[in-house]
Amino acid sequence: MPPDFSSLVHWILFLPLGAALFIALFLRRAGAVAAWLSTGVAFAIAALALRLLTAAPGDTRWHVELAKLGDISLGFGYLIDANARLMLFVVSFVAAWIHLFSVGYMRDDDARGRFFGGLSIFMFSILGIVVADNLLMTFVFWELVGFSSYMLIAHYFDKDYAAEASKKAFIVNRVGDLGFILGIAFCLAHFGTLNFAELGALKPAAGWPWLLGALLMCGFIGKSAQFPLHVWLTDAMAGPTPVSALIHAATMVAAGVYFMARIAFLLTPDVLQLIAVSGAGMAALAGLCALAQTDIKKSLAYSTLAHLGIMGCAIGLGRPDLAVLHMAMHAFFKATLFLGAGSVIHGCHHEQDMLKMGGLARKMPVTTAAFIAATLSNCAVPFLAGWYSKDAILEAAHASNLYLFTLLGLAAVATCLYSARMVRLVFFGPANSEAADHAHESPWTMTAPLVVLGLGFSVAAGFAADALIPAAALARVAEPLRAMAFHATSAATIVGLVALALGALAFRYYGRAAGVDSLRVDLPRFYGVLEFRWMDAVYGWYVDRVQRRLSEFLAFLDLLLINGVAVRWLGAGVPAVLGYLTGRTLHRGQTRLYALSLVVGTLLLAWYFLAR
Amino acid sequence: MEHTTLAHHLLLAGLLFALGLTGVLVRRNLLVVYMCLELMLAATTLAMVAFSRFAHKMDGAVFVFFVITVAAAEVAVGLALIVALYRRRGTIQSDALNLLRD
Repeated sequence: MPPDFSSLVHWILFLPLGAALFIALFLRRAGAVAAWLSTGVAFAIAALALRLLTAAPGDTRWHVELAKLGDISLGFGYLIDANARLMLFVVSFVAAWIHLFSVGYMRDDDARGRFFGGLSIFMFSILGIVVADNLLMTFVFWELVGFSSYMLIAHYFDKDYAAEASKKAFIVNRVGDLGFILGIAFCLAHFGTLNFAELGALKPAAGWPWLLGALLMCGFIGKSAQFPLHVWLTDAMAGPTPVSALIHAATMVAAGVYFMARIAFLLTPDVLQLIAVSGAGMAALAGLCALAQTDIKKSLAYSTLAHLGIMGCAIGLGRPDLAVLHMAMHAFFKATLFLGAGSVIHGCHHEQDMLKMGGLARKMPVTTAAFIAATLSNCAVPFLAGWYSKDAILEAAHASNLYLFTLLGLAAVATCLYSARMVRLVFFGPANSEAADHAHESPWTMTAPLVVLGLGFSVAAGFAADALIPAAALARVAEPLRAMAFHATSAATIVGLVALALGALAFRYYGRAAGVDSLRVDLPRFYGVLEFRWMDAVYGWYVDRVQRRLSEFLAFLDLLLINGVAVRWLGAGVPAVLGYLTGRTLHRGQTRLYALSLVVGTLLLAWYFLAR
Repeated sequence: MEHTTLAHHLLLAGLLFALGLTGVLVRRNLLVVYMCLELMLAATTLAMVAFSRFAHKMDGAVFVFFVITVAAAEVAVGLALIVALYRRRGTIQSDALNLLRD
């Protein structure tokens, strides 16, 4: 009988909720206290998650039934398997350092109490998704994540773009979540249970219906910003940079991948094929689009889209373990990249345009070192963290489908190109603006997370996986790590090395001229195609031309039938006519008349009851 | 002379009630209308006492004491209202009191 860790999970899940409530009730004006409380709690969770990760293997299960409706049991419970342990650790560990970074980054913000309360409620929500043992509980926390994301994107709610971006993120996610909740209803109707373990034990004779997997996949598409619902992610960069790092790079968008890994047994080959193709396609396209962004955070957002596409492709290839591994490695280096970008933005007095930066390597050495380390990991330089997972996914694609492999190879090349461009424009060359000229290194609260996540984990998480995570706890993930390690002749390795070489060329290419984008000068039309937001245009057309006309037609019907016929004519007309008639005959203001009608009415009633 | 029966009592009470009702419906002076109302009340009390007497129970008779007490209080309030109305409007003709019609 393995030791029971459910009380540990209670602490992990409810500490951040307690912190959020405490901040909301008592610390809204005391920003500094709220910041340190939230950060302390985040580190405590990380320590507990590490304890859980290094504890003896074996699944932790705990369940309490909240309601029973007929044969349907609705409950709250935990299912902590190897994936969940890894995810708990990655989420809480990355989040803890991002909390610390936020202490420095948000120091001059007036609404720090709200911000850190929001971070804590986000932690509660995402950890809830990780530990949930049934679909409905996942859905509830899924929506909570959506809410806290909305709240944090809209931190600068007095700015129009932030308010609109948060609205967009929320609405786009609703579209995906509609599929999710339909999937839950479908699952309940056909199998009568929502519990992952019970579903896993079922072996339907006719196989799993493809519709179930497809509907649940909709939730993943929305939350993990997969094509065609990816449009909200780049706008979500309107939030403060630590939010982008925590929610829109490292954890929340990865929750969809984690969820897909958890229900991987429900996905039929058709659905898998769809996920693989759309994931790989998006990976390649988003990687190229990152080349045409001048805002450093937006460029990183496209990079995140590319990596989410790679993870989606891994799930589609039937390797959710690789997807989860890549999600973990990506969390380390992408969080560093965003935090580095935050440090740069902070140092340059809130300048986000890469073309106006330059030459920051001398002024911000720690940030530069961490950013470059994370970039190399992002480009999958051999033996760095990102390489282990990305190389394995490429290898898996090569083994199964050459088209997918080509697309992923293109994504790998694009990754190296935009990474080289970013580093070249931001950190090297002359300073291209006043702000960049007067840049300064950030305080220790911001550089410490960069050093730990960037120089530590982005580089060494691959080796550390064995040391840090007992192999048995991570059996599903650790196996491919060794099995698919570096082979000098494998296709994936060759593609990776070619991509790196192209990246080095790109570094030289973007160094040609300062303050302008070389690609834009040389190939303005190509640049324009990449910069243009095609899906936004399509949605804009749909909303404006199709949906709006339909709703205008419906509004006309409403005006005519409900408002006109039902309310104006019947609802108001009948009382008006009756009122006019009775007013002329009965309401004469004569007391005796009233008395008479009283008597007559009483007599009529008496007659009715007596004569019956 | 025959013994009086319940029917006799009830007939008397009904006549009194009808008399009061006619007065309420026909007369316009609020003071008279009010007196007629009291007559109707007295008629119902009489019926109640008669029932009580012929059922050989005291419940109705006891009830009548309460009715009379409450009626006395009610008369005080009603008369005060009529006096106040006369002071304010200078008339207690019910036909003239139709301000709320429109």
